[in-house]
Amino acid sequence: MADEKHRQWLAELDAESRRKQQAVLDGLAAKLGRPRVTERPPHPFRGAPDFWNAYELTPEERIERFIANFQAVGGHAFRLASLEEAARFIADKARELGASAVIRQDEPLLAGLGLESLLTGIDVQVWNDRPEDNWTARAANAGLGVIVADYAVAHTASIVTLSAPNKGRSVSLLPPALAVIVPASRLYTRLGEVLARIDGMGRERLPAGIHFISGPSRSADIENDLTIGVHGPGIVYALIVDG
Amino acid sequence: MSAAETTAKTVKERAEEALRDDFLRQSVRYTTDRLRSARLQAARDQGNWEAWRERGRQIRSHTIAHLDYYLNQFAENARANGAHVHFAETAEEAVRIVQAIAQRKGARTVAKSKSMVTEELHLNKALEDIGVQPIETDLGEYIIQLAGETPSHIIIPSIHKTRRQVADLLSREAGEELPTDTPSLAGFARRRLREVFLTADIGMTGCNFAIAETGSIVVFENEGNARMVSTVPKTQITLMGMERIIPTWADLEVMATLLPRSATGQRLTVYMSGISGPRREGDGDGPEELHIVIVDNGRSLQLGDPEFQELLNCIRCGACLNVCPVYRHIGGHAYGSTYSGPIGAVLKPAFKKNILEWDDVADASSLCGACAEACPVKIPLHDMLVYLRRRKVEAGRAKPPEALGMKAYAAVMGDAGRFRRALKLGRLGMKPLARDGFIRARIGPLAGWTRHRVFPVLAGQSFRERWAHLERELERELAPAAPGVSERLEEALRRRAEKREGGVERHGG
Repeated sequence: MADEKHRQWLAELDAESRRKQQAVLDGLAAKLGRPRVTERPPHPFRGAPDFWNAYELTPEERIERFIANFQAVGGHAFRLASLEEAARFIADKARELGASAVIRQDEPLLAGLGLESLLTGIDVQVWNDRPEDNWTARAANAGLGVIVADYAVAHTASIVTLSAPNKGRSVSLLPPALAVIVPASRLYTRLGEVLARIDGMGRERLPAGIHFISGPSRSADIENDLTIGVHGPGIVYALIVDG
Repeated sequence: MSAAETTAKTVKERAEEALRDDFLRQSVRYTTDRLRSARLQAARDQGNWEAWRERGRQIRSHTIAHLDYYLNQFAENARANGAHVHFAETAEEAVRIVQAIAQRKGARTVAKSKSMVTEELHLNKALEDIGVQPIETDLGEYIIQLAGETPSHIIIPSIHKTRRQVADLLSREAGEELPTDTPSLAGFARRRLREVFLTADIGMTGCNFAIAETGSIVVFENEGNARMVSTVPKTQITLMGMERIIPTWADLEVMATLLPRSATGQRLTVYMSGISGPRREGDGDGPEELHIVIVDNGRSLQLGDPEFQELLNCIRCGACLNVCPVYRHIGGHAYGSTYSGPIGAVLKPAFKKNILEWDDVADASSLCGACAEACPVKIPLHDMLVYLRRRKVEAGRAKPPEALGMKAYAAVMGDAGRFRRALKLGRLGMKPLARDGFIRARIGPLAGWTRHRVFPVLAGQSFRERWAHLERELERELAPAAPGVSERLEEALRRRAEKREGGVERHGG
């Protein structure tokens, strides 16, 4: 009942918005002194300059550059030999941080880490495996979030994570610490390489949230004094593994 | 209206207040120095900075020149993503839309991340008027909200607050005395605002860029609070200026290269989030309902105006504030509007387009051009300041004493006898004030200048007085020009004039 009324209210707003849209856009065209542009205009300046698009690092250089740039902004980045080593690293950090709960995305690669058996005595939650639960609250109570990067960028030292039913945005946001597995094959040189892939997906296939994370949360709002971990995770581990 | 906007009337009065505040002046200078050198370093590290700026200008100019097409594309795609899009031509309309949503939702609290558009709309006041509590969650914005003030810098809103003042404000909020070290203060804000994120009925964000092809909004930030307010509350409202559009994600690489480097010298802000509609079926978080309010509020008045259209290219980085000798001297509040510094000096009168409201803001500039040089999308801000002054004069709005002064100047300079007598009078008058060739005393007709500067004394012998002697020397020493020289010079001048007319590169977008 209430839902139906609300939907009706939204529909009225949308109808009003569409009427308004035409008037506003006609007004813009009139101010620009020409009729409405309804065909896609040629866009000769799309994206980065050509010299930049030709810039590419070797896989080894990408890893080195990512680690150096990530550390420069206060993040922790390591290259590890295997997923087993990454699992041990994460388990050690969870204990070191004194986390009573860890939350991870529901991804096969992370299930393969076997954190549940490595972290006896620590509650390991798997995002959204019971949809009726309040997952935001669960993420807020975890001491460490664990995700896999969908992409990563060496030049800006960025981790890219896309939302999905099995991949919550809260996992990389609400816990005070975050561990990210970065498969080396997903590490690119330039931001533009990842953005081209997003353009390539097309609107219909985009997730609701695409998040670029480049280090720990920070602020310099109190007398220019840098402080880490204001709202988002203050400790971020990027673990680069081959494959 | 904020306290800063109402307590003092003119830019000059507000500037004088600011100049009496030693901490403000030191802090503004220190912070702007830090941001400015960080920007220069980041530009050097990136390399080819001029090529990046030029590409940034091209993309922005192209989008603005086709704003009707791209805005339509954005709105259609955002709706297809499931967002509710609203168009507001005026600040009042935008406020009404937001109030209606808040009331419909029965909201008690709105958690806000940084948004200059909401400042421009005085949206916090409008929400309070209907009994909804807006809470700023960016650390700097939270501090100045507790102080009941407005931002004094686009990027660092609390630039004017001392650590002691911050500690007092947060202690009052905590109900106990907090230590003044940064980790303690930030730690308190983190705990307090965490409750706000988890309980707010509505999350509100601004929008740095909107991608037309996919109907996505993109938000840049360092703290994570914008991610919070777009992840946790059930309803999200995003306010965006209608000119925030870029065509594609590929274009975002250029903006992401220019904006953080120009603002703080970062390679990228810690978070860059692209949001395309509300949570998808099956998602465990994200808003269930997403409203995007597209605000005009004077922006479209720049379209088709050859002198001001490029103003819409602005990506709100604050680089022009950090290099402006006037901003660095008086800080942001003296401008008396939401946007300060050179960009604010142009935006305020341009967005109002009402000649009677064009106050003395445009005069608060030295026209040195540092702003245009720093601008990552090459907006000729100092030219625009001159256009504003010209329009003001054309409208007969120049100050009467200034007009009178100009008339007196013409009368004195146009008559050799009057000039001689005026000089004599001046030399006599300055005698008791001059020390070491400068006047520092803050009295008499020079007080407006000497309050913050020194004034050189008049020369012992004026140029005009020396002219008779100089002319004789020139006649003796100048040999007649070699034949053909004057023809060659004229030819060179003619070629230069032709080249300039052919080279209209600025409006290539």
